[in-house]
Amino acid sequence: MSKYGMVMDLDRCIGCNACVIACKVEHNTPAGINFTKILEYETGTYPDAGRQFLPVMCNHCDDAPCIDVCPTKATYAREQDGIVLVDWDKCIGCGACVLACPYDQRFQVFDERTMFPGGTTDFQRPDVQRADTGAVAKCDFCYHRIDEGREPACVEVCPTKARIFGVTDGSDPERSLDHLIEQDSTTTLLPEKGTKPSVYYVSRGE
Amino acid sequence: MSEPTKQIKFEDDTWTPSVCMGCYNCCGIKIHRVEDKIVDVIGDPAAPNSRGYICAKGKARFLDLYDPKRLTQPLKRGNPKKGLGEDPEWQEISWDEALETVATRLKLVREDDPRKLVLAHFDMPGYGISKAFGAAFGTPNLHWNRADYCGAAPHMAHLLLNGSFNGELDFERCNYIVLWGTQLGALAETIPLHTADMMADARARGAKLVVIDPFCSNAAAKAEDWIPIKPGTDGALALSMLNVLLNELGLYDVPFLKEKTNAPYLIGADGHYVRHESSNKPLVWDSIDHTAKAFDDPSLKDVALDGEVTIGGAPAQPSFQKVKEHLKQFDVEAASRVTTVPAEKIRSLTEEFAKAAMIGATVNIDGHDLPLRPAAIHFKRGSGAHKGGAHTTLAIHMLNLMVGNLDVPGGQRGVNPIGPFWAPEQDDDGMLVPAQHIAKYHKPYPPRQPKIPETLDLNELFPSALFTRGMFAWGIRDPEHFGIDYTPEILLHGRTNLMMNSHNPEAMSEVLAKIPLQVSFSTFIDETTEFADIVLPDSHDFERWDLFPANDPYAFIAPGPGEWYWLMRQQAIAPPDGARPWTEVYLDLAERAGFIDELFAHGKTMWNIDERHALEKGKRHTVKDIAERQAKSLIGDDFSFDQLTESSCMITREKTIEEAYPRPFMKARVPVYLEHLIDTGEQVGQVVEELGIEWDLRPYNPLLQYFPCHAHSEPDADFDLHVVNFKVPFITFSVTSENLWIDEISQANPYTHNVMINTKTAKAKGLKDGDRIRISSHHADGEGTVKVTELIHPSCIGIPSTLGHWARAYSVSKYKGTGFNNFLPAPDVAYIDTLSGQTDSCVCVKVEKLSPAKRTQP
Repeated sequence: MSKYGMVMDLDRCIGCNACVIACKVEHNTPAGINFTKILEYETGTYPDAGRQFLPVMCNHCDDAPCIDVCPTKATYAREQDGIVLVDWDKCIGCGACVLACPYDQRFQVFDERTMFPGGTTDFQRPDVQRADTGAVAKCDFCYHRIDEGREPACVEVCPTKARIFGVTDGSDPERSLDHLIEQDSTTTLLPEKGTKPSVYYVSRGE
Repeated sequence: MSEPTKQIKFEDDTWTPSVCMGCYNCCGIKIHRVEDKIVDVIGDPAAPNSRGYICAKGKARFLDLYDPKRLTQPLKRGNPKKGLGEDPEWQEISWDEALETVATRLKLVREDDPRKLVLAHFDMPGYGISKAFGAAFGTPNLHWNRADYCGAAPHMAHLLLNGSFNGELDFERCNYIVLWGTQLGALAETIPLHTADMMADARARGAKLVVIDPFCSNAAAKAEDWIPIKPGTDGALALSMLNVLLNELGLYDVPFLKEKTNAPYLIGADGHYVRHESSNKPLVWDSIDHTAKAFDDPSLKDVALDGEVTIGGAPAQPSFQKVKEHLKQFDVEAASRVTTVPAEKIRSLTEEFAKAAMIGATVNIDGHDLPLRPAAIHFKRGSGAHKGGAHTTLAIHMLNLMVGNLDVPGGQRGVNPIGPFWAPEQDDDGMLVPAQHIAKYHKPYPPRQPKIPETLDLNELFPSALFTRGMFAWGIRDPEHFGIDYTPEILLHGRTNLMMNSHNPEAMSEVLAKIPLQVSFSTFIDETTEFADIVLPDSHDFERWDLFPANDPYAFIAPGPGEWYWLMRQQAIAPPDGARPWTEVYLDLAERAGFIDELFAHGKTMWNIDERHALEKGKRHTVKDIAERQAKSLIGDDFSFDQLTESSCMITREKTIEEAYPRPFMKARVPVYLEHLIDTGEQVGQVVEELGIEWDLRPYNPLLQYFPCHAHSEPDADFDLHVVNFKVPFITFSVTSENLWIDEISQANPYTHNVMINTKTAKAKGLKDGDRIRISSHHADGEGTVKVTELIHPSCIGIPSTLGHWARAYSVSKYKGTGFNNFLPAPDVAYIDTLSGQTDSCVCVKVEKLSPAKRTQP
């Protein structure tokens, strides 16, 4: 039993998008669907302007609106660690969770889009099941990797170690994120929504 | 509740350690093959240059293996006409017919005049094969590509002041980091995975990062201080900073200048060194004994850096005195007007940098007391790719020199000037001569004797440049202008997209169309391959073996402390039927054309193969076989490919302290005064006079100058904006944009496919986000989509990467983004740095709103 979380160190993120591709590769997502993204913002005015990179993904909320609205209980929090998952066998593709997620992190797979335009090609990963057409897909915290003791793909790839994966319930002191989460500057996205995200953001606030 | 099944397990599940070719950096990777398909790539945890990490480009590249437009059938051209928009009318031919056709022509040309063969590619481990091919064939015309585009001038500055091809800095100790027109630590530069992490650590530790750049790049986004500068005016800024440093602050490293540079060398009225009567060695002034002595006289007590002395009745000054006086003309307020950087910022930046360098400080490392200079300036193409590129990058690098931070703890450092089997030398004047293994190409010093060109890259007119590859287009277009008495007959081209990466396509199309036989080795039919007469399907690099090591130490082993590591590229999957690695095809062609034994004879020395592993005469060795012999020669006889199952990285040993922090251990001196340029300039002057051509001899000046770009010197009311180019961390050159996954992130990014315009400039021109605009330079037109931003200098527009593909076969990246290079002129004396051979990337443009928005490209 562990409660997992991720900390995004915004000071270290250089907006290289390696995590976006790593996630894409790991989950073999259809064209146009990415379970994690790097958003960019501008701050200030020229010449005192700045540029911010913001990695976003499913927040694996403790109070996840997507679970509450799912009529078939296809979306659920895994018992042993609270990872929010979608059971594609149960998902009827009603899209209620897509609307309910305040973070825009759920993606309906509308069609069997092939990776390359113009039909199927040799590129069909034999080792990863693609999201079912009609179902809703999203970041699953790479539970298959976590279960093998590995880090999520986006964490493993990050060249600047801007993504830190660990536990938030004190169950594993060596992988505890508490020292990062307890910093004053630590935030979550849209805290006013009351979702209690498991993804945290830290920055020295420059 | 059980989890949904997602990962499916297979019996056939193999990881092949290898080396990435997503850019030029040769990071260690592991390639995952399942059921005969490549399904993933990760960084090799055992390779020090990747340490288990990988970038977006490297991660995405395996998708290209399965791109439906991959070539697997040789083609020949049906339409004899070559030009933009011409349909080549490809016809399929067999491999045998293709090779026989090319080999027959090669034989004829070799008998006639081997110089008529030109080899073009940008493929690091492939250079070894093509160099031996070119030498055996007898052509000097090799390696037409744009490696000079980013680095002809910056590499020259590094070779002169570091004795190394590339530069970097001591991330572990440096407290003040200035990136000048470059993005070290943002995955767009050398040894990227290593430097990205090191830079993030340095910033977390509290090091201040300052980025000088017209655009707030990914690197500038992480800076404490982003200093926007008017494009191409970097030389004016650097020279004014030198003036502040030397004449206002008086902050410089006196012992470093005295012992490690030619600052004390006495300069006579003619600008030359004053030399010892008998030994001919440059003289210095012993300020204790009040007499001139040879620079290496063991009786020297102290040397003068200032003042004026009389020698043999003639006045002489230490070169440092001349430099200091010369710099007084670079007034800070004037520089501020040119660069738009406020004068107080120029002064504070200089002072912060100089003070952070802690001149005089030392640190003990492994029992050695070494200088500690924890401040460094790193520079590359942004500052160098201009008319005065050599002088500008040298002026920037001179700021490093003056505080004594070159190749010492905390400071700027060259990439491996000293290594296990190379070391720089010292010439009779005491000056540093880089090791050939690291200089790689021509050495800027000592300069060569200029002469009427024989080579189509005109390098004979640039005797102090390391390479002049941008000049190929000029030499091929206009050989008689340079007294070249032949025209090229055959171009073997591959893995460099000359149409995209050089200058405006119309001018380049005329150059390519002049070559009677163009043979292109291609995975896809790109813009340059559209001009081919014969197309040979190339392999992806995951499908090939390469010479060893894949990571050349001149650029691809991290400098500073650490280990010497050598990586082997290994084949992870066979190429599809009909595609073959171009390196093997080169060997086939040499065999068919009858010079394979000569190729291997040249290869033996070029490839560092020792006697015991010598190549056998009469045998067609494979690239893998050659690599094995190279590895055995370097690593030892017990090398075997069987060892490379977990990692393809072989670590030989730790670096010594001399290799990690070379400068305190190097006797050779580096120049503050480029005395050699006086004679070289006169010699170049004689050659261009003989040729009767217009040339720019101003850079042949021992004292650094600011040369405004052509775009600055001819202001034009209509063409009122400059245009700047910058890299994005997920795109390599013109290459990776055709990858679907890369395209997805490019589309999602607010900048990549757009043209950046400052908010105020956009307002003045009535432009808003999403507007389609026509962009016109004096040389070509293009189109783009406006992104209004605070992140760019108001005097320019910004265009990222090398985008805007138009190749017929391209499906993903076609017409996406804008091609920066399209606006550049073909090489011409007004737009090149005649010292380094760097081409000027500064052009003026005008922008007009297109209404209704529609594409008319190209």
